Amino acid sequence: MGSTLTLVAFWILFVLVVASALAVVLLRNIVHSALYLVLSFVGVAGIYILLEAEFLAAVQILVYVGAVSVLLIFGVMLTRRGNIRQSNLFNAFSLAAGVVSLALCVLIILALARTPASLPLGSWPVDTVGALAEAFLGPFVVPFEVAAILLLVGIVGAILIAREVKEDK
Amino acid sequence: MPVWELLSVELLTAFLGLGLLVLGLLVPKGQKRGLGYLAALGLVGIAALAFALREAQGVVWEGYIIDPFGTYFKLLFLFAAILTCVSSFEYIGRLGNGEGEYYALIILSTLGMMILASAGELITLYLGLELMTISFCILATYRRGDMKSAEAGIKYIILGALSSAILLYGLSLLYGSTGSTLIKDISLVVNSGGVTPLMVVGMIFLLGGFAFKMAAVPFHMWAPDVYEGAPTPVTAFLSVASKAAAFAAFLRVFFVALGDSHPLWAEVIVALTILSVVVGNLVAIPQKNIKRLLAYSSISQAGYLLLGIVAFSTLGVGAILYHSMLYVFANMGAFMVATVFYNADKSDEIQDYAGLARRSPLLAAVMLFSLLSLAGIPPLAGFVSKFYLFMAVIDQGYIWLAILAVLMSMVSVYYYLQVVKVMYLGDPPPGRPAIEVPLGVQIALACSLAVLFLFGIYPTPLTNYAFSSAAAFFH
Amino acid sequence: MLDALLSSWGLPLWAVTTIRALVYLLGVLAFVFLNAIYLIYLERKISAYMQQRLGPNRVGPRGIFQSVADAIKLLCKEDIIPREADKWVFLVAPIVIFIPAIMVYAIIPFGPGMIAADLNIGVFYFLAVASTTTIAILMGGWAGNNKYSLLGAMRTVAQMVSYEIPLVFSILGVVMLVGSLKTSDIVAAQKEIWFILLQPVAFLIYFIAATAEVNRGPFDLVEGEQEIIAGPFTEFTAMRYALFYLSEYTNLLSVSALAVTLFLGGWQGPWLPPWLWFIIKVYIMILLFMWVRWTFPRIRIDHLLQFNWKFLLPLSLVNILGTGIGIKVYQALMTGGW
Repeated sequence: MGSTLTLVAFWILFVLVVASALAVVLLRNIVHSALYLVLSFVGVAGIYILLEAEFLAAVQILVYVGAVSVLLIFGVMLTRRGNIRQSNLFNAFSLAAGVVSLALCVLIILALARTPASLPLGSWPVDTVGALAEAFLGPFVVPFEVAAILLLVGIVGAILIAREVKEDK
Repeated sequence: MPVWELLSVELLTAFLGLGLLVLGLLVPKGQKRGLGYLAALGLVGIAALAFALREAQGVVWEGYIIDPFGTYFKLLFLFAAILTCVSSFEYIGRLGNGEGEYYALIILSTLGMMILASAGELITLYLGLELMTISFCILATYRRGDMKSAEAGIKYIILGALSSAILLYGLSLLYGSTGSTLIKDISLVVNSGGVTPLMVVGMIFLLGGFAFKMAAVPFHMWAPDVYEGAPTPVTAFLSVASKAAAFAAFLRVFFVALGDSHPLWAEVIVALTILSVVVGNLVAIPQKNIKRLLAYSSISQAGYLLLGIVAFSTLGVGAILYHSMLYVFANMGAFMVATVFYNADKSDEIQDYAGLARRSPLLAAVMLFSLLSLAGIPPLAGFVSKFYLFMAVIDQGYIWLAILAVLMSMVSVYYYLQVVKVMYLGDPPPGRPAIEVPLGVQIALACSLAVLFLFGIYPTPLTNYAFSSAAAFFH
Repeated sequence: MLDALLSSWGLPLWAVTTIRALVYLLGVLAFVFLNAIYLIYLERKISAYMQQRLGPNRVGPRGIFQSVADAIKLLCKEDIIPREADKWVFLVAPIVIFIPAIMVYAIIPFGPGMIAADLNIGVFYFLAVASTTTIAILMGGWAGNNKYSLLGAMRTVAQMVSYEIPLVFSILGVVMLVGSLKTSDIVAAQKEIWFILLQPVAFLIYFIAATAEVNRGPFDLVEGEQEIIAGPFTEFTAMRYALFYLSEYTNLLSVSALAVTLFLGGWQGPWLPPWLWFIIKVYIMILLFMWVRWTFPRIRIDHLLQFNWKFLLPLSLVNILGTGIGIKVYQALMTGGW
């Protein structure tokens, strides 16, 4: 594909990701926020595809869109109280928060603009799936196994905390 | 040395944790206490192994560094975990079920800290950090049906997630601007003068993230509430071990990877130090709850440890190692007393400690000497370690900072002695029996007391070990 | 072929790519619509046969145009939006459910070279895209502001998220044998022997999990007519309801096509042209799904989840372990050493 097409695709995805991320924060209905979060995840997956990391894109969709956000929406729907149209509340500091966020954003953009763009060291593989597998079970086996234990701890914790609620009733 | 031998401490810790998880399901109710003994004994064994391997040096797949520095911290975490387990027997037994998981989580969070201390690669570092944080989130909510415990868990998980996000963003910026997650590669890029504005932003985020885990002001807001709500043994573990782990990882990232950009971040650290020492000590004065008092005291201790980072020298790192090890015993001692007291009286309020010296001389004595060691009064070990920390900054010309820290130490003596005054001069509430201290806890208390006196009077062995580890860290 | 023709007209590369993509899309859409409409008819006929009824027999010879008539009827009906509905979510949900249902066809090899996009991550793409269906069902269940819809949606999501895990693991067994995620490679690897013979357990797990994934009986808790009317779809009418209905059969078709690709040798077969073999095998799979649906009673939700977590998931893990050991042993035998 031509680089123009890639560039156009990038800007479309960029707008999609940023606009839906803003919608997540700004919308008053928390279910809508969650749904826009899904859209934002999809946009990020699109950016991964543009970077030729298809496997990562598929993982992003499978894990974030297919599982994480589903659980998120699940949680929101099960715990809703009162008027859903006013569920994503703002506190009294929204103006201050906006100013601080904007300042931070400007700071990072300035830093980014003054940094010469650089590419990662080494060449990147054509077969991303195979290279990932070899990295996981080769040089990155320690973090890989730690991640496994981390997930186990997460599951155990979720069960422990959920079980408590049941027993207290 | 083969890989499995280098990783033996971590592997055994992981097996112990996972084994306890399985055993917790198999052991019948009523015999679950054995799990705690098993956990403590297993940790003692692992600590012995770690001590035997203290000189081990090697790199596992580039990204995992085994060196005396890391092993020193691993020993520290193991000691803290052992004391935590010992002080938990009674406390957790009363909470009902979930004992196997409790000890497993303690051990797995220890594993996370070990990985933090040895990580030579950013992803490993982050995962170790998360393993530690997530385990603590669960442990903090362990007091079932207690609003404060639930509050502690929620606060820790939300603020922990926020700080992890900040740290992760910093790590990603660092990776983005250096093109590698390996600490040694990053240091090569930084050495060749490749510090870009984006990296500076990354460093700021990293500082914020680490300062949160250290509970340094102004990233300390979570500490008092979480410390107050969490089960007391967990609070003790959280206050000593997770702080030390954060320092270990911080030293690795900032001294090795970003060492050559030291002038860029040094002043931020000075600011953090001043704030932590001043705010921690001053806010501790009006506290009425022993856990909140110790929380603010631990914030100020983070400030003292930061002095070693300000020094940016072998002496400074050695002083951090030495002080954090003694901090484990002093703080664990104080918290163990608080745990036993809570088991007997169901209270953490300082005013309820009135007359503790008459109800249990041992508890009052341990509390007294632990607090004095925290304050840095000779002949206790805390004095020697603080002395080294102050020397380290004076060496680098920060005399005014040392003077400030000494002044604030004096302030701390005031609020520590407030507790002592209540314990020794107050009258016990009528009808309160003497407090019985379980044998295991007695031994643990005696051990930490012995450590505090031994290394206060004769610090050479530990200082030698700490400074040789620090020298190996810089090599 | 198409590329060469378009290029000879002097079109730039991006235009050729776009046109090719559109042609593929139209081809898939036509295939899916025709089949889905026929499948609805087929299902009704088969259920009638199993229950000793006649089934549709009025419109056209043996009622073959019944589905067409139904489709036209649904198109002409009023599109009702409940007053209390979450309007935008309500409007978008049927479309969202249909997009992944169509997208997954990109990696199905209908014959040698007859594949829209032979992706590197092939099967994984299928799983990833298919997993997004849950979002649409949640949206549908939520938007109607109907408690039965929400209940149905919750149940379905619990079911689909859980069964996704054994589904992925069962496919992993095949992927381990082939060493590639590309669907074309997987079909090519079955030239000698179909993977249903090498991975019978995986096929069984896939079949059960896929039934749950497409919410068909005995796992059709999404609808559960007796309890929650039509679940997430209760409030939808006319074309929107038709889209949900259509996507159900589209999904049935796609999981059958994937089963054929993974376990039944894809388009491989003697004498007949490959695409015909493919269609025949797909229809065999579909008949199997229908047979199961009209044979077994619906399972209760807690039994359903227990069966998944306590039986299917461990079984699929054991299958992966066994496959791994099997591959190593096979390699050792072939090369005469470890």
